[in-house]
Amino acid sequence: MRVSRRKFLQAGSAALVGLSVKGDRPITGSFVNDSFQLGHQLRDRSTFPEVRKLEKHSVVIVGGGIAGLSAAWRLHKRGFTDFIVLEMNDQPGGNSRWGQNEITAFPWAAHYVPVPGPKAAYVRELFEELGVLRNGEWDERYLCFAPQERLFLYGRWQQGIEPAIGLADRDREQFRRFEELIHKFRDSGGFTIPMERGLSPKQADLDRLPFSQWLRAQGMDSTILNWYLNYCCRDDYGALASDTSAWAGLHYFASREPEEKGPLTWPEGNGWIVKRLLERLGPLVRSGRIVHRIEPRKNDLSVFCGDTEHKTRFVIFAAPTFLAPYIVEGMTRLQEFEYSPWLTANLTLDRMPASCGGDSTWDNVVMNSPTLGYVDAMHQTLQSRVERTVWTFYWALADGAPAENRRRLLEKDWSYWKEAILHDLERVHPDIRQCVSRIDLMRLGHAMARPKPGAIFSPERRDLAGRNGRFLFANSDLSGFSIFEEAQYRGVRAAEKVLATLGGKS
Amino acid sequence: MGILLFISVLLIAACGLIYELIAGTLASYLLGDSVLQFSTIIGCYLFAMGIGSALSRYLSRGLAYRFVWIELMLGLIGGFSSALLFLAFAYSQGFQIILYAVVMVIGMLVGLEIPILMRIVRERYQFRDVVAHILTFDYLGALGASLLFPVLLVPHLGLVRSAMLFGLVNVAVALWSTFLFAKQLPSVRGLRVLCALVMCALALGLAQARRITTAAEDNIYADEIIFARDTRYQHIVLTRFKDDIRLFLNSHLQFSSRDEYRYHEALIHPGLAAVPAPRRVLVLGGGDGLAVREILRYPQVESVTLVDLDPEMTRLFATHPMLTRLNQQSFQSPKVRIINADAFPWVDSNADSFDFIVIDFPDPTNYSLGKLYTTAFYRAAARHLSAQGLMVVQSTSPMFSRDSYWCIVETLKRAGLKTCPYHVYVPSFGEWGFVIASGHEYVPPTSVPAGLRFVSLDGLPSMFQFPPDMSPMSMPPNRLNDQVLVRAYDQDWKDISH
Repeated sequence: MRVSRRKFLQAGSAALVGLSVKGDRPITGSFVNDSFQLGHQLRDRSTFPEVRKLEKHSVVIVGGGIAGLSAAWRLHKRGFTDFIVLEMNDQPGGNSRWGQNEITAFPWAAHYVPVPGPKAAYVRELFEELGVLRNGEWDERYLCFAPQERLFLYGRWQQGIEPAIGLADRDREQFRRFEELIHKFRDSGGFTIPMERGLSPKQADLDRLPFSQWLRAQGMDSTILNWYLNYCCRDDYGALASDTSAWAGLHYFASREPEEKGPLTWPEGNGWIVKRLLERLGPLVRSGRIVHRIEPRKNDLSVFCGDTEHKTRFVIFAAPTFLAPYIVEGMTRLQEFEYSPWLTANLTLDRMPASCGGDSTWDNVVMNSPTLGYVDAMHQTLQSRVERTVWTFYWALADGAPAENRRRLLEKDWSYWKEAILHDLERVHPDIRQCVSRIDLMRLGHAMARPKPGAIFSPERRDLAGRNGRFLFANSDLSGFSIFEEAQYRGVRAAEKVLATLGGKS
Repeated sequence: MGILLFISVLLIAACGLIYELIAGTLASYLLGDSVLQFSTIIGCYLFAMGIGSALSRYLSRGLAYRFVWIELMLGLIGGFSSALLFLAFAYSQGFQIILYAVVMVIGMLVGLEIPILMRIVRERYQFRDVVAHILTFDYLGALGASLLFPVLLVPHLGLVRSAMLFGLVNVAVALWSTFLFAKQLPSVRGLRVLCALVMCALALGLAQARRITTAAEDNIYADEIIFARDTRYQHIVLTRFKDDIRLFLNSHLQFSSRDEYRYHEALIHPGLAAVPAPRRVLVLGGGDGLAVREILRYPQVESVTLVDLDPEMTRLFATHPMLTRLNQQSFQSPKVRIINADAFPWVDSNADSFDFIVIDFPDPTNYSLGKLYTTAFYRAAARHLSAQGLMVVQSTSPMFSRDSYWCIVETLKRAGLKTCPYHVYVPSFGEWGFVIASGHEYVPPTSVPAGLRFVSLDGLPSMFQFPPDMSPMSMPPNRLNDQVLVRAYDQDWKDISH
């Protein structure tokens, strides 16, 4: 048989095409839950509908994230129901929103709560009510299953995220010294959750310093220690250590002493808590309602939402505080509130990728990646066999100016981010493209409050956080950083202040 | 004639090298340590070639006749060398003696070839041409063989058939020589018939090579494998040696039919016989139906619910005649209901109550299986217990994985259950441990079913006694968020194997 050169080439290229078809498994997906258009309407002072309806309430809560829902939870629990929660997005929950597909529920952002210490009384109270804490014992179904975390470095996985392999003596010594210093700060009582409890002017100096600079001053120059601490800042604040206040960098470590191996987590992340709260609150929470103006009047306030004017005695402003000047009549722009932009992705995996050794874990981090790694939504399953799953991939755009990164977040299209994510994952899962069938992306321009140097002790923050009266702020950004415990604390505190005034009256 | 002669040289050189390579490969493959095997075999072979060359001087007359005979013998011995060695490894104790004997014989015959051939053709050429030509083709043949062997022969033909193929080449050279040297040969016809016979033998061997290797390999890997399947969940292998059937899941031994009755009687009767009027029984795991066989000895039991992950496993034990004989067709009983489901979610979502629960999972070798040994799982399982109900848990070996065993006991306690640990000796497993757990104190039975081969009322008390080398260890409980058991189990087995 003779094969002509042409035929041979044809057959060869057909084979190559066949290969590439097999290699490039189609991956679908889109941007979801975009809310920047709504925010931009406020910023650009777009025209909103004329008022057609009038409602009266004692309390209007603006924002249906953890802070707003926690304020509502406290009011409701006290038997007080003359209030509404107005949420701009179609789905309440804020940073604790979640999604659901045929495989599992999955988080869109916040995915865990560290096991709360004894000072976090409100969090413990909530978890007792939800059955997570019973007779002083945490239900192990809600504690993150073993093995919890792993880190990919030097071409392999290690258990735990703090680098433990390949350390030189100097690295080890610095890790140990950092640990000792954290112990001292912890014992000082100045670093607590809620943060307001322990905040002391003695530590104001720390807040003025970038965390990276403080580390240098302590002689901690180990590349690996700095990678780790930088990772922690990106993970909790969406900021580099050089953009984070040293006080905040230390608070991350010094505020918690876990009594139980945790954290608390659910397939849908903190969406599980939101679901429980929504079950209790029912129609008191109205979503898809953007509040565009709030006017303080002589004896009450008017909250304008769509074509409705809500007359109310109290407003709890639980939406991100930076939005308030765009909405509240007569309020000046804020200077100290900075936010980090984030991208989160949910990847649907039709099969599990091959892993370079190591049991699969809940949280998976790759050393020296610009991203934060991924969390496995099926990790908390009781099944012993898992064939499909959803990974939530986190990417805080920490490097560079937030405004610049927000622009990048909106400019680049879906396939740009899809490729960037797959490229990042391919380093540890070379076959990831054969496993993923869908990638949905959520862009959050102002995802988390960023505790930049000076933010914690700034008079602006302390003034807004300490307010009393008819108009109260409640977002977690009043604490300088966005974590569940602070959001819940701020929400409950605002509700307590309202109840104290109302209770005094009745 | 010249070129044909030199092609013969090329071919016999290739054959000689192939036999050497086959012997070396086979020895490394069967004995390991390839450096040692190859060095000794090459050394031995070259030494034997030297002996052959030295002996060639004692052959003076009838050189062509002798050459044909040498080729015939090489074809026969070399051709069957690989098959012979495989069978020798499988069926005899003296594999190495046979190996080196074969290498020596082949080496000596190969060592004879070239000197004799040189002498046969020396009248026709100048001496320096003879040496130059013959050695050139000799080395060329060696090069060809050394390239062919790894690239084509081993991957495509295998060792047994490669040897036979080159045996055929040797015989072909013999046959050809009867034409080349016809004038120097006394009886050409007799030699040609002999060549044809040896060729037939080799051709037959080539056709039957697969049966030879299978016969040898079956014996190398001891027991006959009667069933092997990759299911969605596991790799199932069944082996049989005489009357002993063994089940391996992911290469872990699950039972041996010779002593499984000890395991399954001990798993079921101390618990079930102690339950007053047991009607409803739940088995988690146990897809082999052997625990169910024991449960069906109690006529008062009305229903047995078996939850096993793998439908192929339960189907196999419901249909394979050898296996249904073993479980006495327990899956055919109208009392038995089989549910193929993941145990933890099933236990968590089901609301039925049972008088006896059997928890018989594979050992906690990984975090996925470890979930089935946690306080959370035992709490969920205990919710299914009736007031008088008991459950029994397969709990690894208190002897070989002592920490793991007592960790399971502690986990059951921390799940709020009263526990009663016990152990038995199962020859194919060694000392094996179980735990009875329930909401109330366990009271041993006053009778056990008739016809048991292992469990008896007299023998019961000793099961509950733990000698000092298996006595309780202080262990934390195994929890979903802190699977100490998986780590302990891993460590226990590492300690044993080191």
